[in-house]
Amino acid sequence: MEAIRNYLETMFANLPNTPEVLRAKNELWQMMEDKYNELIAEGKSDNEAVGTVIAEFGNLDEISEDLGIWNVVSKTQDITRRKVTMEEVKRYLHESSNYAYKLALGVFLCISSPVGAIISDATNISDAFGILFLMSFIAAAVVLFVHSSITMHRWDFLKQELCTIDFATTNYINDQKERYSSTYALLMTVGIVLCVVSFVPAAIIDELDLSFYGFDMDDMSGMILLVLVAIGVFMIILSYTINNTYVNLLKLNNASTVSGNYVSSQHPETKYISPAAATVMSVYWQTITCVYLMWSFLTFNWHYTWIIWPIAGIINGVLNSAFKKQ
Amino acid sequence: MNSISSDVIRGYNDTIILFLLLQHPSYGYEISKQIKTLTEEKYIIKETTLYSAFTRMEKNGYIESFSSDKEGSGKRRTYYRITDYGRQYYKDKCSEWNLTKEVIENFILKEDNYGSNQELS
Repeated sequence: MEAIRNYLETMFANLPNTPEVLRAKNELWQMMEDKYNELIAEGKSDNEAVGTVIAEFGNLDEISEDLGIWNVVSKTQDITRRKVTMEEVKRYLHESSNYAYKLALGVFLCISSPVGAIISDATNISDAFGILFLMSFIAAAVVLFVHSSITMHRWDFLKQELCTIDFATTNYINDQKERYSSTYALLMTVGIVLCVVSFVPAAIIDELDLSFYGFDMDDMSGMILLVLVAIGVFMIILSYTINNTYVNLLKLNNASTVSGNYVSSQHPETKYISPAAATVMSVYWQTITCVYLMWSFLTFNWHYTWIIWPIAGIINGVLNSAFKKQ
Repeated sequence: MNSISSDVIRGYNDTIILFLLLQHPSYGYEISKQIKTLTEEKYIIKETTLYSAFTRMEKNGYIESFSSDKEGSGKRRTYYRITDYGRQYYKDKCSEWNLTKEVIENFILKEDNYGSNQELS
């Protein structure tokens, strides 16, 4: 059955997504499915049944004339789309997930780099240790960023060229995406929760005024906060990057170009009323994050700077409803 | 046994399908199966040919389509039924065929006479 579906999808792969074409495809699929089921019920093997159905399918030229899609067929044939094969997709998914881990780890290292300095400060070890620690973390992060982005360069064609993927591959990607969705949701939620509650241990330690073997826990509270944020951000970046890989691959086919391969499992892109509004919205969360971190690090008032998030959330909602094109 | 040339039968796909729809409304696969059975598998209609005939005849008003789950199998199919205009068209096609047959018959030799035609000329 899968073989027949693939055959039909391949036959229709270059046709536009008009209602006539979709109707023809559905009707033909109905007939082929009925025939296949009956052949199987008659005791034919799967191979025989598929063979018969495909042999008796006929020729698409016959209906393209009737549907008046002949013009469209010859028109779309001018645009050659690079076919991305199943092997390429599998390799891309594999390398992308490596990339996601490196990227997330790099960010983790950057955020947690001051930890050494905090420890050395709290334990009266030489300050040089703290600096060394910080520098080596940043250096490792830079190596990860550069290396990972260079290895991904060879996939740039996915963004630069017009590409397309066939039906079987689209299904494969969709399956993988579905399978990843629960991990994605879990990592995202835990990551966000970690970031939000990161100040809690620090606040508690601050309140209780704990000391541990003559070790001033007060100094350590900043470290705990950084580590929690670093872990949270690691989870968010990792899951977001991997999920984005699937979404971007599925976007290679779209409604206006390919009928056979289109999987409508993507959200329509948000449209804004003006380019200016689009620009504002695209940098909104980055700006808020920036403001949050600057305010927090400059004042060290972590116990109330978090208020920026709920407020930013509400403003974002207001701006969205004002700027979005209906 | 020769197979039927698709060029020759093309003009009569409509007649065949309309004949079957005269009995009762039907859907794609059922029609293709009936054609196969009635002709003792001498003519197997291609899926694309059948679909092309459906769309053309629907456009010309000979048949109408509707979606239904007649067999109660939980699967909705597109059914086709013949219109009054289609009935008229079918009658015309039948008399056209009778005339065609009559005309062509004049030029068809009996199989055992193939040789004797040469002698006559």
